Amino acid sequence: MVDAAAPPPPDDRDALAGELALGLLTGPERAQALRLQLADPGFADLVAAWERRLAPLHLDFAGQVAPPEAWTAISMRLDGEGQADGLVRRLKLWRGGAILSGAIAASLAFILLFRAPAPPPTATPQIVQVPAPPAQMAVAQMTGQGSDMLVAARYDATTAQLNLRAENVPQGDLAPELWLIPADGKPRSLGLISANGTTRLAVPRALRIMLDDGVTMAITMEPAASAPHAAPSSAPVAVGKITIL
Amino acid sequence: MSEADPATAADSARNHLVAALHDVARRDRAALRRVYDLTSAKLFGICLRISNDRAAAEDILQDVYIKIWNRAGRFDASRASPITWLCAIARNAAIDWQRASGRVATAPEDAALAIADERLRADESIEEMQETGRIHHCIDALDERAGTAIRAAFFDGLTYADLAERMNVPLGTMKSWIRRGLQRLKGCLEDG
Repeated sequence: MVDAAAPPPPDDRDALAGELALGLLTGPERAQALRLQLADPGFADLVAAWERRLAPLHLDFAGQVAPPEAWTAISMRLDGEGQADGLVRRLKLWRGGAILSGAIAASLAFILLFRAPAPPPTATPQIVQVPAPPAQMAVAQMTGQGSDMLVAARYDATTAQLNLRAENVPQGDLAPELWLIPADGKPRSLGLISANGTTRLAVPRALRIMLDDGVTMAITMEPAASAPHAAPSSAPVAVGKITIL
Repeated sequence: MSEADPATAADSARNHLVAALHDVARRDRAALRRVYDLTSAKLFGICLRISNDRAAAEDILQDVYIKIWNRAGRFDASRASPITWLCAIARNAAIDWQRASGRVATAPEDAALAIADERLRADESIEEMQETGRIHHCIDALDERAGTAIRAAFFDGLTYADLAERMNVPLGTMKSWIRRGLQRLKGCLEDG
């Protein structure tokens, strides 16, 4: 097992890099090695060196003619990106990341599910020294179009906790990953959520400030083992916007 | 001279692919189609070999070209061969799929020995063929069981657990074979 608290000695690090590059690891070991690759440039270099060593083997894979409809499907996914109607334009915020699939262009419908609690009494005007979330409570309802998928999110600024409730998430090999897409259009992962039922996530400090009115939240289906990801790899299955209460 | 010099043909294929990737980075759809025409058979072969599931391989292939569309700007021709860069995207996508699906690879025992057909190899440069030859030479020099396991991991996407089961040894034994094998492989490639 890889222990995050005690970095492996140099030889073990190189062995781990080789194991990751070769694809031998699974489950928590793989997830941990992938996290190390993201967090530790030295380890990332070791992995890259192993990828370079093994690269010539790729030439030995035998080719197979791809099915003729494959290009059509790819082309349609790229078309989704090119559309410019109102809903899709918002989703074009997914620059540098996912391509929107026209087929599952998720709706931006917003339904208020949670009622705001009474605001806590604040006696006197306070001096805010650091940028803070502009309200105590924010909600978002992410819905999928043409599916019953529903993910309701409620953020409580006093605890920096995001509570989510998911229903009717597509079943399959992939897991739902939650993204925050602020005005710069770059999706930030908030991590995986439970495909059914509730999830409670602690929102990292750097992302709290981005939880603002009108900011987009979205769900994509991603490989669980390598989450959280730097960018989504597929189109969102559900999208909604944050409303500050 | 009616017949093109193979080395020149390979260089020209490589340059063509590098140029197409460069255009893809500038969001040129026609260039992505050129990349697709040049590489889809190879990349679909990788997706199919590792996923061992035709429908899944088609889905993975779509994801692979969307990734290529998004990542082409990061390709650096001075650091990587375009075809192996593309192959690595396909292999990693297929392995991600396999790990996420929790499936046990079921490739046939001798699949690791299957090699690309000659027609598809025609575009390889002499340098690429030499590099491939050298890594095979180094793998052949390992303990036979380690070499078999490393090839099966690479070509079939087998995990430690799959390999231990396939070769009927405890997981710890498999790990030590492969770790030792990788260390020796590294030494051999550095000596080469």
